[in-house]
Amino acid sequence: MNENRIILDDVSRFYGEVLGVNKVTLSIPPGITSLVGPNGSGKTTLMNLITGLVRPSRGRISVLGVAPSQPQRLFRFVGYSTQFDAFPKGLTGSQFIYAFLRLSGRPASECRELTTRAIAQVGLIEAAERKVAAYSKGMRQRIRLAQAIAHDPRVLILDEPLNGLDPLVRAETIALFKRYAAEGRHIVVSSHVLHEVDMISDQVVLMSGGYIVAEGQIRGVRSEIQDQRPMQFLIRCRQPHLLASKAFEQDHVVEARLLPEGEVGLPAAELCGWGPGVLIKTRDADAFCRILNRLALGGIDIEGVVPADDNVHSVYEYLIGGEEANQ
Amino acid sequence: MIRLWCTQVLAIIRLEMKKTFFARRGLWVYLLAFAPLVLFVSHSIAIRHHRDQLARIARDHPISSAALRDIQVGMTCDEVTQKLGQPYSQRRWHRRDEHNEQIEQSHCRYTDGKTELYLFFDKGKLTEMHRSELDTLHQSLQIFAGVFQSYYLRLAVFFGCVGVFVNLFRGEMLDKSLHLYLLTPTRREVLLAGKYAAGLLATVVIFTSSTALQWLALLGQFNPTAVANFLASTGWDQFSSYLAVTALACVGYGSVFLAVGLLFRNPIIPIAVVLLWEGVNPFLPAALRKISMIYYLQSLCPMSAAPGQDVPPLVRLLISPVQPATRSVAVLSIVILTGVVLVAAARLSRRMEINYSDDTQTICS
Ligand SMILES: Nc1ncnc2c1ncn2[C@@H]1O[C@H](COP(=O)(O)OP(=O)(O)OP(=O)(O)O)[C@@H](O)[C@H]1O
Ligand SMILES: [Mg+2]
Repeated sequence: MNENRIILDDVSRFYGEVLGVNKVTLSIPPGITSLVGPNGSGKTTLMNLITGLVRPSRGRISVLGVAPSQPQRLFRFVGYSTQFDAFPKGLTGSQFIYAFLRLSGRPASECRELTTRAIAQVGLIEAAERKVAAYSKGMRQRIRLAQAIAHDPRVLILDEPLNGLDPLVRAETIALFKRYAAEGRHIVVSSHVLHEVDMISDQVVLMSGGYIVAEGQIRGVRSEIQDQRPMQFLIRCRQPHLLASKAFEQDHVVEARLLPEGEVGLPAAELCGWGPGVLIKTRDADAFCRILNRLALGGIDIEGVVPADDNVHSVYEYLIGGEEANQ
Repeated sequence: MIRLWCTQVLAIIRLEMKKTFFARRGLWVYLLAFAPLVLFVSHSIAIRHHRDQLARIARDHPISSAALRDIQVGMTCDEVTQKLGQPYSQRRWHRRDEHNEQIEQSHCRYTDGKTELYLFFDKGKLTEMHRSELDTLHQSLQIFAGVFQSYYLRLAVFFGCVGVFVNLFRGEMLDKSLHLYLLTPTRREVLLAGKYAAGLLATVVIFTSSTALQWLALLGQFNPTAVANFLASTGWDQFSSYLAVTALACVGYGSVFLAVGLLFRNPIIPIAVVLLWEGVNPFLPAALRKISMIYYLQSLCPMSAAPGQDVPPLVRLLISPVQPATRSVAVLSIVILTGVVLVAAARLSRRMEINYSDDTQTICS
């Protein structure tokens, strides 16, 4: 079982005071798994943890039975296309792939073959002999994908791989993921737009504020969001900082976000024109309401509370972004 | 396994080559390395010019060397002219003494083509005399030894290694491209070894070739048979020692600065600390003195630099070690110090993390 899953066991990672991801427990089977969440929700941190680029502050990780602290074993079967858009200076696309492939110890001829194949798979043959520095954003995205798949990995981790791709290439890339998944490989893809990946994913992991807020097959995730309504509250009060910090002391509070006056794009329409407030996201609405009463009795001047999850769409809009967030 | 590691190290060297040899950032490494070469070449040209000049003068005003040696303070102007004839350069002037009487003073120069004599006459009497020999091979070698130990080892190779080795990891952290290495099936230790080897290749090639060229420039001004004789006796030995010391300096300082670049995002302070430590080395108690690179490197230098009287004692301390270590002890110590630093760096590299945000201070947490 362990041998064919990516397993995270109660994994947390803090950047000093800042929360990267918190208490993540996941077991990822073969197929396409999408990590979805807004900016700063911890998708990249989670992928970096899985590939050993950062070490967990707590918890254990195993990728098909191998610990990320053993790169010499891990990257025989793992490929990771990162969010980082930097390349060594002066290399052409194919030199770039080839040079790093050589680090696996394969003979030169095999590396050349693998390079050519990977470049063909991402449709960059014409540009292969041009300097990466002269590539467009989408081409750089593709050459990174080529590098991740060059050694034919069983596990493919891709951080926002569809970002910056034109529709045609996007379709080709998705077809590539599907082909890989059909061969029984693990594909972990991140995105901040759910509908970009929900059609292709076997499993979706929704992240927010460093936590996993929902996980499962896409239909399951949809109903889970519905079941847990309301999850978010908008609270108008005179001491938003104090309220936010008190609320955050509670285990079930996942996020406490200060809202400046009249913030646009809030999920609930009623809130237009509100004063300063706090957006609280909780996994236990009942417990939170009890706390809120206590706080109100304790002197915090609460002027109004509105559940922000009036419908599933509002969650989507907040959590994943609306149509305009696409691209 | 070993074969895999070798292949990986070679692949890393290939990737690093451009950065270590041809980085625009690294241009000043070449400046540091080749500055003394410029010095020695111009010194050589100047000396050669001077020698030709003296030879020409000696031809026009022939003087025997024996006569030149006979000149002594207290002789009169006439006696000197009788022995040496007219000087090739002379200046006379008049001065009034305290009784307002005019006195004549003069200044003249003679040469036999090898030695130059400066004579100063006061009221027709020789009162001061300077003898200046043309640079001999021995003198030139001492100049070289002085420059080598005070500038080349302490500053050029030191900062050259700073420039190359500190940036091996840190530079890629700043460029945000270090993750590319960490995503290959390479042990961190092998990655470290590969990067170290790449840095070593660059610095050893740059600095030993500069050492060799300096030596060449220095010897170039002398008579070829004299040079051949010198080389046949102790010359080659000295030459190879200098090359070896240069290479060992790269080995030692390279490891230290590789570790510095691995540990610190802002390496200025640790570099300053190392510089200071190496600088105060001669003033430290014997036990502490031995925990440094410069002590062993200087012990290995073939000729202790500038023992001449005109060198201030402080400077003399800086350029020649007190109680030098023997050759084998020195080499072994450098190798051991380097090994210790590299092993520590290798352990540290296992904790290396990708963190491209600018506010973090360390690369390995
Ligand atoms: N190196 C770092 N130093 C400090 N904080 C960090 C660092 N990397 C990430 N974080 C913090 O960790 C949290 C999660 O960041 P992460 O990059 O994982 O989010 P993400 O989901 O990938 O966002 P995006 O969609 O913008 O890529 C954020 O609050 C971020 O500020
Ligand atoms: Mg990200």
